[in-house]
Amino acid sequence: MTAHRTDLVTGGAIAVIGAVYYIATFSIQETANIVTPRTFPAIVGIGLVVLGLFLAGQAVVRHRKDTLAEAGPGSAGSAEAGTGSVPGPGAGGGTASVSGDADRSAASAGESSLETAGTDEAVGGVVLDAPPEPQVRKVVFQFALFFVYLGVLIPVGFLLSTAAFLMGLTSIYSPEKWIRNLIFSVVFAGLVYAAFVYGLAVYLPVGILG
Amino acid sequence: MDTLIDLGGGFASAVEPASLAFALLGVLLGTVVGVLPGIGPISAIAILIPVSFGMEPVHGLILLCGIYYGSMYGGSITATLIKTPGEVASAVTAIEGYEMARRGRGKAALATAAIGSFLAGTLAIIGLTFLSPVLVKLANVFGATEYFLLMATALLLASTMSAGSRAKALISIFIGLAVGLIGLDFQTGLPRQTFGVDLLSDGIDFTIFAMALFAIPEAIRNLALGRGAKDEIQGFGEDKWMTKQDWQRSTGPWARGSVLGFIIGILPGVGPSLASFMSYIMEKRISKRKDEFGHGAIEGVAGPEAANNAGVGGAMIPLFSLGIPGSATTALLLFVFTMYGLQPGPLIFRDDTGLIWTIIASMYIGNIALIILNLPLVGVFVKLLKMPKEILFSAILVLVVIGAYAIEFSLFGLMMLGIFGVIGYLMEKGGIPLAPAILALVLVPLLEDNFRRMLQISGGTFAPLVTRPVSLSIIILMVLGIVGPIVFRWWVSRRKLLADVTVS
Repeated sequence: MTAHRTDLVTGGAIAVIGAVYYIATFSIQETANIVTPRTFPAIVGIGLVVLGLFLAGQAVVRHRKDTLAEAGPGSAGSAEAGTGSVPGPGAGGGTASVSGDADRSAASAGESSLETAGTDEAVGGVVLDAPPEPQVRKVVFQFALFFVYLGVLIPVGFLLSTAAFLMGLTSIYSPEKWIRNLIFSVVFAGLVYAAFVYGLAVYLPVGILG
Repeated sequence: MDTLIDLGGGFASAVEPASLAFALLGVLLGTVVGVLPGIGPISAIAILIPVSFGMEPVHGLILLCGIYYGSMYGGSITATLIKTPGEVASAVTAIEGYEMARRGRGKAALATAAIGSFLAGTLAIIGLTFLSPVLVKLANVFGATEYFLLMATALLLASTMSAGSRAKALISIFIGLAVGLIGLDFQTGLPRQTFGVDLLSDGIDFTIFAMALFAIPEAIRNLALGRGAKDEIQGFGEDKWMTKQDWQRSTGPWARGSVLGFIIGILPGVGPSLASFMSYIMEKRISKRKDEFGHGAIEGVAGPEAANNAGVGGAMIPLFSLGIPGSATTALLLFVFTMYGLQPGPLIFRDDTGLIWTIIASMYIGNIALIILNLPLVGVFVKLLKMPKEILFSAILVLVVIGAYAIEFSLFGLMMLGIFGVIGYLMEKGGIPLAPAILALVLVPLLEDNFRRMLQISGGTFAPLVTRPVSLSIIILMVLGIVGPIVFRWWVSRRKLLADVTVS
């Protein structure tokens, strides 16, 4: 997905969330106060809609501009200069990594220079490597495992579910080191359990072992 | 004079064995989380909040504050040796520091970072010591109007001053506000935005939100990546520590970084990360050796590292004296104070004088401990970097789950953790920064409460905003603070365009 597409999708999603949030405020009971319990949530809902639409609109406008710049051969050179003459067009990457989105800003550092110039232009030539992006399918799988762990933690108990969860995660990552994984999973679960239950009096679920 | 007496009293209790032990533990843990990529002070403090329930308030706070400033030291080690910042504020150190290490100057880079951190950290705490009582006096005339304005300023600055897209930072703030408003309205007791789910009427727990946003997406991302190329860790065999020339080249950046970091740190809504970026920019601008930047200029390590530590000290000032957090991490600390039933601001300086000064005194001690621990133990910390990723991140996930369980003791709490973990991941994917949301979540009840009180006192008009002298001054400063950067950006981009014209 290009940076503009991501922004378009993000903006759209935020606007929808904002709309749902705003509609939900109708079920808040009205009171006679100057600032009713509805006031703030309604402002926030509208704010999300406006910001989401703004982000999406901005993405569309920038996409058009880019296409135009590519179409005209004469202007392509100057567009190149605009983004590229500062040592490293990825100047945005330096600061954008703060938001964990180096590649988007690196890509759009040129257009968004007005917006981010205060910090990123001046970092000038700073290119921090964008964090690599994992495959969607693997992320979904990891989250699924995590949710299973969350679901079984209380009924099955901390010790068993944690040891199994740790064993599962580490074995997917490096199956050949299964002995190390097993030792780590059992020892870590046991140590943490002992530390919390006996050391800090935070009682963790015992589940089927109880 | 009173300040010195109070500080002396603080020192007397800060050197008691238990306080000292917690200060040392805090800075040590802070260094460790700073060193480990993927876990920063926010996740670490959030995970430890349930643990600190049972501690004496003063010990818990000493510990968690220690983690915050300790992590700034640790971050520079990782940045220098594997070019991955251990935490955000060290991101720029990864540029020059890593280049220095590659050229066999790793020890000098770490030394200038550590010494700069120590000097700047100590200067900032001195600033904190003497500025806080002044602000406390000022805060005595603050009413609902001023508090509302200051919090609104913090949120606005958090979006305008953040790196990257301003629209996205604002979206992050609104997400935080939206989540923060879920639950019973504290004034009328009416349920709001619960979508019919009764369990939501208690609201979303702040610690769960912070852990979910900061620890889970990072852990999942790393685990999902599978085994990639191993990070290459720069070693240092026969490297020299700092030479005489290094000292000469570092003093200027240390001093400038300290002042800049301190000022930026005090500003509401702006954290130490921006301080380190700004310092890097400044050092590069004024340097006579511009060509060395990008190839291991020591100034590019000394300045930013001093700035981020000074920024931490600066950020503590509005937190301690006004009770207004300026960043996500200080927002967490504010939460910890209120968890212990303490209210930072003028009240804490009046009613809990001993406690607040003990914490401040412990920061002096912690900083000294950091410089003593850091350089000799650097070899030990480097070993942490060799920890297999899958072990580190799966362990973090388990700790986060325990943290969430210890807060709610329910499946509902655990599910909230998971759901907000997914939301955090999607936010990151969409390029929306996470920290402003956390700040907004903490500030929204205070913001709404003060807004209501302001309008109730004034009978529904906004007049007090401009008729009260203090609030009018805040408005003027706020306008300058927001318009200033925009003008500055416009000016920079105009100059950039002119430069392009001359080149072509």
